Amino acid sequence: MNRCLILMDGNRPETDLELLEVTRRIHGESQIYTMGLELEPKDEKPSGAFDAIVNFECGSVPPYDAAGIAMGAAALHEMYGFDTILVPATFFGRMVAPRLAMRLGVGLVADVTGIEHVGMQLEMIRPAYGGKLMAGIVKKGPGPLMMSIRENAFPATSGTIKQTRRIVFPFDHQPSRMTFIGAREKPQATDIRDSEILISGGGGILENFSRLDDLKEVLHAQVSASRRLVDSGVASRKIQVGQSGKTVSPRLYIALGIDGSVQHMEGLRHVEHLIAVNTNREAPICSLADVVVVGDAVEFIDRLVKRIQLQELSGG
Amino acid sequence: MKIVCLIKFVPDVEEFKYDYQRHVLIRENLKQILNPDDACAVACALMIKRSNPETVIEVVTMAPVSVSGHLEDLLRLNIDQAILISDIRFSGSDTFATTRVLARYLKQTTFDVILTGTHSLDGSTAQVPSQLAEVLGLPQMSNVVALDTSSFLKGKPSFDVEHDTSIMTFSVDLPAILSVSRDSAYKLPYVAYQDLNRDVSSRIRVLSHQELDLQPQETGLEGSRTEVRRSFVKNMIKKDKVILNNDREGIEAVYCYLHEHGFVP
Ligand SMILES: Cc1cc2nc3c(=O)[nH]c(=O)nc-3n(C[C@H](O)[C@H](O)[C@H](O)COP(=O)(O)OP(=O)(O)OC[C@H]3O[C@@H](n4cnc5c(N)ncnc54)[C@H](O)[C@@H]3O)c2cc1C
Ligand SMILES: Nc1ncnc2c1ncn2[C@@H]1O[C@H](COP(=O)(O)O)[C@@H](O)[C@H]1O
Repeated sequence: MNRCLILMDGNRPETDLELLEVTRRIHGESQIYTMGLELEPKDEKPSGAFDAIVNFECGSVPPYDAAGIAMGAAALHEMYGFDTILVPATFFGRMVAPRLAMRLGVGLVADVTGIEHVGMQLEMIRPAYGGKLMAGIVKKGPGPLMMSIRENAFPATSGTIKQTRRIVFPFDHQPSRMTFIGAREKPQATDIRDSEILISGGGGILENFSRLDDLKEVLHAQVSASRRLVDSGVASRKIQVGQSGKTVSPRLYIALGIDGSVQHMEGLRHVEHLIAVNTNREAPICSLADVVVVGDAVEFIDRLVKRIQLQELSGG
Repeated sequence: MKIVCLIKFVPDVEEFKYDYQRHVLIRENLKQILNPDDACAVACALMIKRSNPETVIEVVTMAPVSVSGHLEDLLRLNIDQAILISDIRFSGSDTFATTRVLARYLKQTTFDVILTGTHSLDGSTAQVPSQLAEVLGLPQMSNVVALDTSSFLKGKPSFDVEHDTSIMTFSVDLPAILSVSRDSAYKLPYVAYQDLNRDVSSRIRVLSHQELDLQPQETGLEGSRTEVRRSFVKNMIKKDKVILNNDREGIEAVYCYLHEHGFVP
């Protein structure tokens, strides 16, 4: 039996399912025992995805107390002897995983986006050099296999429903030397990763980026951008799609004037439908698109918005 | 007050060119640059030093001796000293081995705070600062975008951290590791004209495995816990696609496509 520990993401339950999917890719379907470490105990009945959910006896541990979480997880490992430990590559997860790896004296592969079995060896695939290259990395030495997993990289397939056990683990954490003072929302903090439809702009629509809003309104979508627009100050980094931006999995991605660099495509994980509008039909993004519209992006917006409004007017 | 800045020189990946015909990266003439996040960390240290001139800034890097010129450029910027940890035995170190080497030096020196970058441009794991914090028993925070100088000088800095949807403010008891992000406003100044050719080479100290008392099995490939087995350019899967013109007919086809898949009524 392969024992797997997953650090649960208190904010995004899909992440837990994605990490469970990774355990299946590593060990196969049947031989897995999965334990989720939940930092903020919840009252609700667990969904049946894990074999067990563990809470620390001391109650909640704040997500920013990476040292405390690593210490607790290491104690848990001592008790259960995990084969695999997975941490989401989220803001806080990225600070916990390295500490835990150091405590356990094991290697850590960051931001994994793929798992491959090569002969007897397991390769963890991750982007490097700003996403221009992918690297296949193997573990060396004894101890559990450890990695942080990029969100949205492993779409969950449904696993078996389990009778989830709740376990309270005796662990008392020391107060952190870090004090949380407060948080303020960043303006317009809507997350492009949660959007079903993204209207995305690149270098070809640099001067008319605001026009994307027209299409955004009629399609009830969100706007995103390539790095080019972020670097030119037209779009905010929060809405950047790509290797150094966010990985998104919208159902529909409309790419307006985006060339489609490897780094940009790295951010498009599981796009069901890709429509590319580009003056150059040879632009790299066009080779990946389901539909290519050859021509000016602004004209495209105008026409399509009119067409959709026409339908709405006629009550369609 | 002593500030240690951990810095790293990386290939300028912006200059990497991709050959779509041959599916290879063109890596000729790549120059090394100071990792952008680390440049912000050094700039942040310089800002503190402006309010408190007694502050001593030391930059520490583990790198080949060929980065000396870059270190000299930094030393012409009101930075007091540089530690160059360099040894052929260290090459090929993963973050685990790198952390070990850096920690060995940091344990034998004094500091009030360690400033680092959050991500590096090449490996971009963001692991070294947190791993070091664990080994040194220090609190650590990534993605710092602003640091309050006056509370810092009192030994308990408050600072802002950029998270996905919010800006969080924390304070921490020193010593600590704070990892700065390039989204911060800190920028390195230019070298003053009269300093351009100043000889600063005596302020670089080079350390090898002997001074740090490191065994071969602790560093380099041997001391690593991960190994890069191969690297490749991602294959993009080709799809069957429809090519349309940006005219009435084309737009109608797009509309139908959206309708078929339930995106419009
Ligand atoms: C370390 C690193 C990380 C990176 N990370 C990312 C990342 O996360 N995300 C990312 O996107 N990039 C990233 N990049 C940058 C990337 O390599 C490109 O520089 C960038 O994506 C180019 O943006 P673009 O395709 O929008 O613009 P351009 O390259 O300028 O392309 C513009 C496209 O628009 C077309 N066009 C021009 N005019 C029109 C018009 N009127 N109507 C329609 N089409 C038109 C052109 O034919 C062209 O295809 C990264 C680079 C590095 C080195
Ligand atoms: N070889 C090194 N020498 C000094 N500092 C380093 C080294 N490698 C990483 N760092 C520091 O750790 C940060 C994150 O790097 P990385 O973990 O490689 O993404 C960098 O921004 C540096 O501040």
